[in-house]
Amino acid sequence: MQLARVEGSMIATRKHPSFNGWRFVICQPINRDGEPQGTPLVAIDAHGAGMHQHVIVSSDGKAARIAVGDDKSPARQMITGIVDKTVEEEAA
Amino acid sequence: MRLGRVIGRVTLSQTIPAYGGGRFLVVSPYDREHFQQGQEAPEGLSKQPSLVVYDDLGGGVGDTIGFVEGAEAAAPFEEPTPVDAINAALVDNIFYNPKK
Repeated sequence: MQLARVEGSMIATRKHPSFNGWRFVICQPINRDGEPQGTPLVAIDAHGAGMHQHVIVSSDGKAARIAVGDDKSPARQMITGIVDKTVEEEAA
Repeated sequence: MRLGRVIGRVTLSQTIPAYGGGRFLVVSPYDREHFQQGQEAPEGLSKQPSLVVYDDLGGGVGDTIGFVEGAEAAAPFEEPTPVDAINAALVDNIFYNPKK
């Protein structure tokens, strides 16, 4: 699972049928300082994540296939949680 | 899923039967510095390496698509199929507002 920031959304009419009814959000993976790392990813979202909110993105295809209810779905990235706050603790 | 622009097509004379009626597209993925806003694909290419994507939705050169990489790309096939990336969505519109 990756920490990411929501930076947009995407509309697609023609898509794999398993995505019908799902919202696509564009997530930017970030490091612990909130700096972007890597290319933006598109994830399916059942939680209604808002702009610039921090989220947890899972890249588990099997879990995503179960969530969309189609075992032939190419779904992979999925928002599994919305972050309230991240706490950094010093190693003892 | 990542997003990218279709910049070409690959035509094969012989394929394994599992590919069926699908086609192959050459796709240049977007990155943070080079990303579509709205309905028009950005000019030029990003620094990301281009890749070949299996397509059964009907994407054409100049279109923006969402493609899935990894083992999940082979999930829609009936039998185990050697596919690394598959076109999962033809993108109509993108709202992108990166922070900073």
